Amino acid sequence: MTIEMEPQTTPEVGGMGHSVKRKEDPRFIQGQGEYIDDVNLPGQLWLDIVRSPYAHAKIRSIDASEALKIPGVAAVITGKDLEGYKLHWMPTLAGDMQMVLPVDTVMYQAQEVAAVIATSRYAAADGVAAVYVDYEPLPVIVDPFEALKPDAIVLRPDKGPDKQTNHIWHWESGDEAKADAALAAADVTISQDIYIPRIHVASIETCGCVADWDPVREQLTLHMTSQAPHAIRTVLALVAGGAGLPIYEHNIRVKTHDIGGGFGGKVPVYPGYVLAVAASFLTGKPVKWIEDRSENLQADSFARDYHIHAEMGATKEGKITGLKVKTIADHGYTDAAADPSKFPAGLFNVITGSYDFDNAFVEVDGVYTNKPPGGVAYRCSFRVTEAVHAIERMVDILAHDIGKDPAQLRMENFIQPEQFPYTTPTGWEYDSGNYGAALTMAMEMIDYEGLRKEQAEKRERGELMGIGISSFTEIVGAGPSHTFDILGIKMFDSCEIRVHPTGKVLARIGVQTQGQGHETTFAQIIAEELGFPVSDIKIEYGDTDTAPYGLGTYASRSTPVAGAATAIAARKIKEKARHLAAHLLEASADDLEWTNGKWSVKGSPDRFKTIQEIAFAAYTNHPQGMEAGLEAVDYYDPPNLTFPFGSYICVVDIDKGTGQVTVRRFVAVDDCGNIINPMIVDGQIHGGLTMGFAPALYEEITYDERGNNLAGTFMDYLLPTAMETPAWETGKTITPSPHHPIGAKGVGESATVGAPPAIANAVVDALWHLGVRNIDIPMTPQKVWKILHEKGVAP
Amino acid sequence: MLFSGTVQIDAPRARTWAFLIDPDKVSSCGPGVESVEIIDAANFKVRAKVGVGFISAKFVVNMTFAELTAPDKAVIKASGQAPGSAVDAVGSMLLSGPPEGPTTMDWSAEVDISGSLAGVGARLMEGTANKIVGQTFDCIKAKLEG
Repeated sequence: MTIEMEPQTTPEVGGMGHSVKRKEDPRFIQGQGEYIDDVNLPGQLWLDIVRSPYAHAKIRSIDASEALKIPGVAAVITGKDLEGYKLHWMPTLAGDMQMVLPVDTVMYQAQEVAAVIATSRYAAADGVAAVYVDYEPLPVIVDPFEALKPDAIVLRPDKGPDKQTNHIWHWESGDEAKADAALAAADVTISQDIYIPRIHVASIETCGCVADWDPVREQLTLHMTSQAPHAIRTVLALVAGGAGLPIYEHNIRVKTHDIGGGFGGKVPVYPGYVLAVAASFLTGKPVKWIEDRSENLQADSFARDYHIHAEMGATKEGKITGLKVKTIADHGYTDAAADPSKFPAGLFNVITGSYDFDNAFVEVDGVYTNKPPGGVAYRCSFRVTEAVHAIERMVDILAHDIGKDPAQLRMENFIQPEQFPYTTPTGWEYDSGNYGAALTMAMEMIDYEGLRKEQAEKRERGELMGIGISSFTEIVGAGPSHTFDILGIKMFDSCEIRVHPTGKVLARIGVQTQGQGHETTFAQIIAEELGFPVSDIKIEYGDTDTAPYGLGTYASRSTPVAGAATAIAARKIKEKARHLAAHLLEASADDLEWTNGKWSVKGSPDRFKTIQEIAFAAYTNHPQGMEAGLEAVDYYDPPNLTFPFGSYICVVDIDKGTGQVTVRRFVAVDDCGNIINPMIVDGQIHGGLTMGFAPALYEEITYDERGNNLAGTFMDYLLPTAMETPAWETGKTITPSPHHPIGAKGVGESATVGAPPAIANAVVDALWHLGVRNIDIPMTPQKVWKILHEKGVAP
Repeated sequence: MLFSGTVQIDAPRARTWAFLIDPDKVSSCGPGVESVEIIDAANFKVRAKVGVGFISAKFVVNMTFAELTAPDKAVIKASGQAPGSAVDAVGSMLLSGPPEGPTTMDWSAEVDISGSLAGVGARLMEGTANKIVGQTFDCIKAKLEG
């Protein structure tokens, strides 16, 4: 079920609203994609990394003598070597410091300890096995609540005399006094602890790079898998500058290739990249580093790890009156989140969700532990998933507590369409929404009334069936420069369009594609604005020597920010084309009107010039006094964020004997504003739903008390395959963003954000009558079975 | 992880004691032991290949007698490494019974595994440890009783 958007262009042009087939797919389906491990340069050396078995230990000594005897091993780099260049520490994107290699203390299991450079991958791995590190194990802190105790050892003594604590920062939003008063006055109050566990994006392509320092030309080319190549270039230039190395930003070229999955895990600057650059600089040869699967799962940045305590107040009829949330955020040994500077807890204060109430207070405390950097991303970087999970769980608990249908309670609390733009009690201005329409569509699609009847009948028979709803509001498109920056760089984004004389178009964008289909959708935006067919438009990205500066692709920001820049750049071209057309038609520019790729004289539709004719004239017959050419660039500073939303309904059946949860049906109604390519949006939703289903039922990174990662392979970190994944049913409503040039809102992360609470709510709904109020995700068979066993239901 | 047990050895106490505190002899019974290097009276180094499930790792383990009270009580500390993994252990044994035998050995070991082996092999660790302990004592019994 979908509310259709009528395309304004022909299928041949393929502007917005057409399901144009993806321009990138022919190379992928023919096995011709080029991923980082496909890049091999002449004379290339290999880098492999010695990693710590301990989660916290002093390094007494490192003995590389045996490694250096292995044929092919060229060098072993340690933290002490880097210290000589002041390269042993580097900044994180959150402005904290992380180690490239430790000089004296390791902080988490699998941390980089030394790098072996060799002439082959095998020799490098043999070298790693032969490096002997003498460690003195230290006490390990894996629990952030333990880390905050006054007698806890201080994990980061480097932070300076006034920061001798494991507490990193405190952040709060909203009005605490008003929230307290609302809770005190409420007829009904509920409170709940909710843990959102540590998870890993586990992209199929791990991280890697080929660093190529050319000592003659003093040029560094860094081939890598990055979602934010310009940011990487700037960080590298700053790190090199701090080290006094002659590697300057104009001589650094970061080049991405096809990316086998990003999901936020390829935003940070990992030590491996810096080590490869340092090794290439030292040897004068290209150096390649490719992570293996276990390194990726044990050492790269993680997501979530939020310990949430929420309290909600309401009238006895179920009208929400207040919300108070206290959260402990486990960031591991360094805060490496890619959050904007002013938002150490991301946009977590969107936690008031889709609901209209006046009083909310949210506070988050970041904490160091002996784990790798946490809180980075999992197809949602800015803590929106955590916020949506908490509010949607709380709303469901409230509904069950007062005996009201969860759908009805949501309908009665939704912000109404006429209230937009709506300012939340934590200060966000939601641009547009129609939450009731989306939930109504989802309920019709799944036959909600019929399911509730079926559930009642099954419960009579002792069968466990649950129905869960999630009516989420997303917050994406960071962001306006007055509020949003990363390491000081404002979160604008960019597009440069060049129209060639024969009417073909090259456009370069500041964002990166890692599966989203930018080569198609950004061409469609230009097709929509200028009338060139999509087939005549080439989109380039990911080469910092040619693409305009941009902050990259994460947090669903490509379409809201760079998509807007693309539309605005196209409109600049359209305006110049108007003056060229006026010259060609010998008419006043004011007398022309634009329709379907042509400027024509008002009232004389036969007198027109097509955009292709105008493009040719821009190089062959432009008027005196006008610059030749037809090009434009735009750096777009969004006036506000965008707020996609949706309503998801999930039906689960639970096996009483095994605790196995089966998702029988899942209906997802999304509203991402105007749609560029319906097929690609559906693909994004399908992928996002699967990446919401995964942490709801399968994925979790756990640690033992010694800080060992217990999910370092795909044997223990369970990814759902096509076998486990339900058949998704999708629907759309369309509520355009009023401030975005093409009314689009972004969709990459909506489903990842919206799906987990729908599934969790369904499972709890199936078990509520047994006295179950909450189950933290992942709701694994053993976790559910244990509850069923305790309740006397399972044997 | 804490392991413990009791073994009956049909051999005189003094002979049993002498065997168990001799690094060369006792190591000859450790499955996968490739070499033993005596450093001094209290310290020796063992190189051994240990398999846990589908993973096998070559460990270099530094052993130290922390306590030797002849003829019945010994405590040994071990700390070793394999690529990406480490082991830290404290083992103790107490011998009892008549001087002519049979000798009863009560033993316990606290073993901490760190790194990849702890993560990947966690659920296989107990079974592997029991197998190694079983093979070791079978060998010791065979050599002392034979």
